[in-house]
Amino acid sequence: MQNRKLRVGVVTTYPPGRGSLNEYAFHFVRALAKKQEVAEVILFVDELPAGEQYQANPVDVQPVDIKLDGLANANGTAHTSAPLHFIPCWQFNSGLNSWRILRGAQQSKPDVVIFNIQFASFGDRKIPAALGLMAPALLRLCGVPTVALLHNIMETVDLKSAGFAKSALLERLIRLIGWVITNILLRANLVAVTIPKYVEILEARYGAQNVLLAPHGSFASETLPPSFDLPQGPLQIMTFGKFGTYKRVETLVEAFHMLQMKHSTALELVIAGTNSPNAPSYLENVAKQYADVPNVRYTGYVSEEDVPTIFNEAAAVVFPYSSTTGSSGVLHQAGEYGKAVVLPQIGDLAELISEEGYTGEFFNPSDPQSLADAIDRIIDHPERRIEMGRQNYLAAHGLPLAEVVDWYLLHIESIVKN
Amino acid sequence: METRARVINTVHVVDLQGRLDAHQGKQVDQKLAEVMHSTNQTVVNMSKVHFIDSTGLSVLVKGVKHHREKNGDLVLCELQQPVRIIFELTRLERVFQIYATENEAVQAFQ
Repeated sequence: MQNRKLRVGVVTTYPPGRGSLNEYAFHFVRALAKKQEVAEVILFVDELPAGEQYQANPVDVQPVDIKLDGLANANGTAHTSAPLHFIPCWQFNSGLNSWRILRGAQQSKPDVVIFNIQFASFGDRKIPAALGLMAPALLRLCGVPTVALLHNIMETVDLKSAGFAKSALLERLIRLIGWVITNILLRANLVAVTIPKYVEILEARYGAQNVLLAPHGSFASETLPPSFDLPQGPLQIMTFGKFGTYKRVETLVEAFHMLQMKHSTALELVIAGTNSPNAPSYLENVAKQYADVPNVRYTGYVSEEDVPTIFNEAAAVVFPYSSTTGSSGVLHQAGEYGKAVVLPQIGDLAELISEEGYTGEFFNPSDPQSLADAIDRIIDHPERRIEMGRQNYLAAHGLPLAEVVDWYLLHIESIVKN
Repeated sequence: METRARVINTVHVVDLQGRLDAHQGKQVDQKLAEVMHSTNQTVVNMSKVHFIDSTGLSVLVKGVKHHREKNGDLVLCELQQPVRIIFELTRLERVFQIYATENEAVQAFQ
C-alpha cells in the first residue's frame, strides 16, 4: 500500500447535507484524508438544495505530523491531508441512485468505494431505499471493489417504530424484501458492522463469509479530559438527533414537566436536531402539543461548530428511543464530552453499551415517570453525574476513529491486492 | 501486561503476557515503537495473552502498518482461542500473518 497511494471513494451523506450518518461521515472522511496512504477522497454525496454547496476542503489542510509514539511515517516527512472531491450524484428517494453512483465511480475511477450507509440511507420510500442499497453489489459487479459500512441491519430494525411498516402483513413483506436486499448488500467485497451481534446474525442467517466487526470509533481529537463543570444558569437536559420515527420526545417532555414540578432548581430541556426525513413536521407538532410546558428549547439543525457547545452545556444526555439497533453515534459523542446519559431499557442495549465500556441510567421507554426518575438520579447527584461522565469519556476515547480508519485501510489493501 | 523483547537471527520477538486492552495498550505500543527503531521484522508471541479488545487490536494494527511502511512485517504467533476468535470476528486474521508456533513465525522471515 505504501508504494501506491489510494484514491478512495465514499458513498455517503455529508455536511451541510442533513441526511443520517452525515456526522459520522464528516469525521470518518476527515480521518481518512489525513492518512498518508490516501491520495484523494472522492465523495459520492447526495445533491444539496439550491444555494447550498459542499466545501471542497473542510479538513485541515495544514501539514499533519502523523508521528505516533515515536514512529515517523515511511519517509519521515509530514503528510498533508488528501484533497476531497465531491460528486453530488444521488437524491434521497430517487430510484436511479445506484445507476448514478455507478456512473460517478466509472468516471472518477477510485481504487475502492466505501459505502457509509444504513437501511434508509437512500430513501424512506421502500422501492428507492431498496434500489439504492443495490449500489455496492452493482459497483463490484462492474469491477469497482466495495466495502459497505452498514450501521444497522434489517433484523434489528423495528420497522413499525421506524415508520416503514403499518401492519403485520406489510412488516412480513418488508422483512422478506429486506432479506433479499441484505443478500444483495452482502455481494460487496466486505461488509463492516459495528456490533458483534450483527456479525453473528449475518453469518448465521445469510451464510456470509465477508462480514467483519469494526469499532465505531470516537470522533474527538483532543485528549484532555473535560472539566465536568456546567455553565451558570438552568441545568440543561439535552437530547440530540433526528426525531419522529423511533426517536420521539413526547415521553421526555412529559418527564421534564414532572421534574420541573418537583425541582426548585431551574431546568431547561434542549431538543437539539431536526425532524427525521421520515417524519416531516414532527417536532413542530410536538411543540404545539406541549406549548404549555415551559423551558423547552428546540434548537433546529445543529451545525458542526455548535455541537461542542450543545454537549458541553448539558447536565445529562437523554436517548428517548422506542427501539434501537445498538451502538449509537450520539452515545459516542456524549462520551467524548464526558456526559452522563439516560437510556431506554430495550433489548440488550444495557449489555451492548456495557461491552463498550459505557454506563448510564435506564428508563422504561413508555413511562414518563420512569424517565423523570432516571434523570433525577443524575441531576440530584452531581458526583454520580461526574463519575458516569468520566467512565463514558474513557469509553469514547478508547479508540479514535483515526485508528479505526487504519483497520479499513488494511482490509482495503488486501482487497486491492487481490 | 508484561512485555519482553529478544532477538532470534535478526528477527525481533516480542513476548506479551496478560490482557491486551485499553489499559495496557500504550505499554505495548511503546515496546513495538522501541523495537521498530532497530528492525522491520517482528514476531509478536501471543501465547500468554488471554484477552484482547479493540484498543489492543488497534495497537497491533498500528504496528503492522508501520512495519509494512518500512517494507517489513509484524507477524503473530501462538494465539490463544479467545484471542483468535476476536481476530476472526474482525477478519484481521486475513490482514496479519499468523503462525501456529514461534519457530514458524521466525522462519517466515528467513
